[in-house]
Amino acid sequence: MDSLVRIEGVSKIYPRVHKPHERLQAFISLLFGREPANGARVLDNINFDVFRGQSVGIIGENGAGKSSLLKVLTGVIQPTSGRVMVHANIAAMLELGAGFQPDFSGMDNVRMKASLMGLSKQDLAERLDDILEFADIGEYIHEPVKHYSSGMVVRLGFAVITACRPDLLITDEVLAVGDESFQKKCIRWIEQYMKQGGTLLLVSHSMYVVQKLCQKAVWIHEGSVRQYGDVFPVTQAYLAWHEVRTAKEKEIHIKATGDGAYYRIEKLILSGVEEGGRQPVFAMGDDLDVELEIYSPDDRPPVGVVGVVRADGTPIYGVVSENEGATPVKLSDHHYRFRLRFTSVDILPGSYSLRGFSMDPEGMRVFDRREMTFTISGNTKEAGFVRLPHNWLD
Amino acid sequence: MNYAILEKFEYSFFRNLVVRQIRQDYLENLTGFAWLILQPLILLAVYAFVFTTIFKARLPEAAEIGFVPYLAVAFWPWTAFSEAVLRANGSITANGALIGKVAFATEQIPLASVTATFLMHLVGYIAVLIVLQLMGTNIHWLYLLLVIPIFLLMWLFACAIALFTSAIQVFVRDVAQILPPLMTFWFFTTPILYSASRLPDSVQWFSQFNPMAWFVARLRELLLFGDAGFDISTVVIVLFVAVFFWVSLLFFRRFAGHFEDFL
Repeated sequence: MDSLVRIEGVSKIYPRVHKPHERLQAFISLLFGREPANGARVLDNINFDVFRGQSVGIIGENGAGKSSLLKVLTGVIQPTSGRVMVHANIAAMLELGAGFQPDFSGMDNVRMKASLMGLSKQDLAERLDDILEFADIGEYIHEPVKHYSSGMVVRLGFAVITACRPDLLITDEVLAVGDESFQKKCIRWIEQYMKQGGTLLLVSHSMYVVQKLCQKAVWIHEGSVRQYGDVFPVTQAYLAWHEVRTAKEKEIHIKATGDGAYYRIEKLILSGVEEGGRQPVFAMGDDLDVELEIYSPDDRPPVGVVGVVRADGTPIYGVVSENEGATPVKLSDHHYRFRLRFTSVDILPGSYSLRGFSMDPEGMRVFDRREMTFTISGNTKEAGFVRLPHNWLD
Repeated sequence: MNYAILEKFEYSFFRNLVVRQIRQDYLENLTGFAWLILQPLILLAVYAFVFTTIFKARLPEAAEIGFVPYLAVAFWPWTAFSEAVLRANGSITANGALIGKVAFATEQIPLASVTATFLMHLVGYIAVLIVLQLMGTNIHWLYLLLVIPIFLLMWLFACAIALFTSAIQVFVRDVAQILPPLMTFWFFTTPILYSASRLPDSVQWFSQFNPMAWFVARLRELLLFGDAGFDISTVVIVLFVAVFFWVSLLFFRRFAGHFEDFL
């Protein structure tokens, strides 16, 4: 196959440029033909090819290096090491309306952009109607671009691209802007463009868009290629990785509370039995008395949450004090207590857990959690978790 | 690196850059185009008043033609040159948004800035020459044909300096502070307000290495005295400017790929 873009061992280190002497140092080392050595490594030994007629999605979390990779590809920045070989006429949209000058009218900017992409005056004159039709911004074309909405800017930007018929189209998250109908228009145009043999490189956080438009996907993770291949396996692996990471974050969140928690639970008592004591046993229909004591370091009344779950973790019921207007009693400085009675609890016999949570006074975040198990005893052939109040009629 | 787009100098893009620059710098105010001609004429009136009425400047070389034409013919080209260099210095930084988003041959930016300034001042210069003629100075219009290549050479010289300073400016922001006093120093060491013969001998030999002194002397000879006395110095200066421009372009391109990191 015909390789349109070849990326060979590309690395990029952004030099440190905050202090004047660092800039001077960078200047001197560049003068002598050396790359500025120290800095943030954003791309690390990237290798892949894009072949003519292929569509490749670039995915990865924020800050993974996707945009830097596109900038290297388009030649906006030089790689620190490695090579990029491009055998194509590229049209890149690295940002909506990239390179538009806000003080000039849409028309002036179209002219500028078209000339930048190698369109002659004649070419532009021929295609101007198509551009205006695609952009569909009416008389605004004669207004300065700074008065445009972001949707209008991206429409105009995309319209110019459509007129240039590039060999390789590069877009960075542009489809995320613009309204539904414009997005559909762009997607239709890209599909048409692909059918005519165009090549596409697309960065998106929308796996839907990537799967719809791309055959291949590259997953960039911390500056290197984590996975490259057909779009479905790669996007699925990426999504799975995200789920695992989100789950882990939650775990860490709970762990970080515990003893060191800010609003920590001091006591969780169920009908006189404290957590860690013998396992209380109740009969169906008994009352359950819950006491939840919370330590408040800033002495503001915290929010409490009490819930019951089945032994396997299936939630049965939970309630937040704040939502029902319940406030805790202040026992002494920093010590608050909620008391709550579940009357004639009709949960079916089995093993259950009582859970208590402490939250900040704003009810924004959970800080601590305690759990104790209890048993409901009894004999019944009913099925499920709870007995719903009922009557057999007739 | 093999970028098809970088291989060719994009003529229509460059023209757009120049037009944009002119509109931004000169035509965005109320008086628009008229201001372009008015400004040099007003300045000329100010200089005429200061140097003939207050300072009563007398130069042997200018005895016949008067001090004001003698000054004006040299002063406008200098203004074009000096303004072009100063404006172009910050042009890369000012166009950071474009450079960060679109790949193109960035040397076009300082070159377009210099070109725009020169074009505008050329219009003003011709206005000044016409007014001088109307006031009774005998301008040798035929030699305007020779003035144009001299202007082109000056333009190329300004481009070379602009490529140098605008590239350094991206890394070392102090250039913007150093450059204006340097240009003022250059202005006073170039025989513009005075004639070269006024320079003491110790300085005169040094003046030979000042390209601006050469430009100024040629313009006066051509337009005021109708004297096309080109000699070996012409060859030297053409070669010097050409080599200087080439070195500047290489210098600029060495840094061009890294601008984005420092903007």
